[in-house]
Amino acid sequence: MTSAPTQSAPVEPDPTPAGDPPLQRILIATGRVARHAGLPVVIALLVGAVVLLATGNDPIAVYGRLATEAFGTPSRINATLAATTPILFTAIAAAFAYRAGVFTVGVEGSFVLGGLTAAVIGANMGGFPPVVAVILPLLGATLAGGLVAAVPAVLRAVWSVDEVVTTLMFNFIVAGLAGWAVQSFFQERGQANSATAYVAENAELPALAPPGQTSWALIIGLLLLIGYAVWMRRSTLGFEFRAVGSAPRFSTAQGLRVRTVLLTALLGAGLIGGLGGGSHALGIVHRYSEGFSASFGFTGIAIALLARFNPIGILVGAILFGALNAAGATVQLFINLPVQLIDILEGTVMIFAVAVFAFPRLSKRWAARSERRRP
Amino acid sequence: MLLLSACSGTSSDSPSGSAGGDAALGSAALVVAQGGLGDESYNDLAYKGFQQGLTDNGLEGTPIESDDVVGQGEQILRRAGDEGLGVVVDLEYSHAEVLPTVAADYPNTDWVLVNAEAAGDNVASVLFQEQEGSYLAGALAALQTVNTSDPKINADKVIGVIGGTQSTGIDKFLVGFIQGARDTDPSVKVLTAYSNDFADPTKGQQLAQSMFEQGADIVYAVAGGTGAGVIQAAKDAGHYAIGVDANQDGVAPGSVLTSMLKKTDVAVETVLKSYADGSFPGGTTINLGLAEDGVGLSDFQYTKDAIGQATIDKVDALKQKIIDGDIKVWNVVEQGYPDYYSGN
Repeated sequence: MTSAPTQSAPVEPDPTPAGDPPLQRILIATGRVARHAGLPVVIALLVGAVVLLATGNDPIAVYGRLATEAFGTPSRINATLAATTPILFTAIAAAFAYRAGVFTVGVEGSFVLGGLTAAVIGANMGGFPPVVAVILPLLGATLAGGLVAAVPAVLRAVWSVDEVVTTLMFNFIVAGLAGWAVQSFFQERGQANSATAYVAENAELPALAPPGQTSWALIIGLLLLIGYAVWMRRSTLGFEFRAVGSAPRFSTAQGLRVRTVLLTALLGAGLIGGLGGGSHALGIVHRYSEGFSASFGFTGIAIALLARFNPIGILVGAILFGALNAAGATVQLFINLPVQLIDILEGTVMIFAVAVFAFPRLSKRWAARSERRRP
Repeated sequence: MLLLSACSGTSSDSPSGSAGGDAALGSAALVVAQGGLGDESYNDLAYKGFQQGLTDNGLEGTPIESDDVVGQGEQILRRAGDEGLGVVVDLEYSHAEVLPTVAADYPNTDWVLVNAEAAGDNVASVLFQEQEGSYLAGALAALQTVNTSDPKINADKVIGVIGGTQSTGIDKFLVGFIQGARDTDPSVKVLTAYSNDFADPTKGQQLAQSMFEQGADIVYAVAGGTGAGVIQAAKDAGHYAIGVDANQDGVAPGSVLTSMLKKTDVAVETVLKSYADGSFPGGTTINLGLAEDGVGLSDFQYTKDAIGQATIDKVDALKQKIIDGDIKVWNVVEQGYPDYYSGN
């Protein structure tokens, strides 16, 4: 078992030659990401332009304004990076599982329960030493995220129960559970809507450049991204992930630890999602409240697919969606632009990211089919 | 207090007098809460008042929506501050902790938080005493459910209330309604349910139908757009619904017993007016209850005859008692849950 088979790979990321120097590999990977992700983004911008024209707006002006609102000044870059942080986590979580061919949609649930756990622990951290006050809630969040994924992981690894269904269902269970838990135990008095108490000051992840909201959560996310890249490349299990993801049957025949891979993939995605939720709670929201996650788990899926699980692609994709989120809100100060346009842009990128991703597989299948029909 | 002074309307009927004198009057922004515009309820009502306030006072302004209004709150508010806006009205309750720090960094901008309380010299908070209006709705329903001369009323002394989600903000309405019914007639049974959705009329219709089948004849909907289904069910079943937030009496004339008005539009409009007048109520919390006419029942335009003047007088008397402080209506947000309702 020297190399992963690349033929008919359902989720095969393009490998970069390991012999090249890192910088060159980064450049190659960036080029590939641009190629794969560029098309969906361009299509989305065109669709958006049509919508803008139809509603009597000048697309160039709107896009220009969006760009300045996203990257125009240091404080706007800060806002973009703050919006990037939660989806960076969820994208890594999704990519982690997808590399093993496991299509979890449960990161959302892990993110939510992780956020609630960190908020509750964080609110009780007054008087603890600063580092402990941050690490304990994050640890709790990570475990909570893993817990959400535990049942689907076991079901998938042991009984081959389809993980899409189970993880999706667990999102609903978690949403209900979180609402009930806040209502019954953690509701802060004097708050009109479901919200926990504010976390203790020493449990907050400090902002990198106050008053901007980008916090140490981004650093944690970036370290996690590097860890993900190294682990996939350098560790034996990381290799097995890619092998199982590429050709599960072949891997079984080869004696790879398929069950361990499946279990680790789902649990790992849950743990990462939980850590993401915890970081979002301690870094940005500072509590758990209704609307804590703006479907970050699902945005993460889109980014992971757009990036084809490539770490650099994940970073670029997360920044792209973060920029849309941050700029999409404040651009309304200057242009009478409904927020739905941002939804259209994001949705179109997502659809075409998945479409571009699926297209080679479909064409391969068509080719195979037509070959079969031939006498 | 604020609304009263606005209603008296003696000070500035000439917009040029006040606005023209203050050249530094900045533009306005409305930060839309979760649910977004188009909810036909809280956000839309506030936006209506916002637009009216802009027009009346010659202000420029824009609404700001975000899919992640919870997490993005601070950066949106700071951006508004950076732009040197004159006044920012924030409808999102979860910004209560963030707003004071932002407001302190941008002292030249006036900030308004609706539905939650925030501190700061340049911050005005607007709270509604929704439990007071709901108490009157509950009392009216308890009085009407025994009025069997009304063809829409059955023999059972059962009424119902449907909440949009289980939170103290919604249970504040529910408990007020239940208290009003209990105080009026302890033998009236109040059914409760949650739709867990503020925009699902079908679910509202099903829940209301189920309540009607259990003997209810009046159902109060505290669930935004879901309430449209409750009204439809009441119309179909020949019973009553009670509307919420906006005056929904005309949605199905005769089938909506009354509406519990929460005048977010008037509140936003009034705050903008006071900002334009130079009398911005910074540092204060504006409590809008029955006394301030911030909440209350509609004027029974289509149901006056069915209800009867005697009942209307009784409800008016209760209103006066609440205003005078003779009746204390339970506030779930401040007091937690009473022993007769646990939030289930």
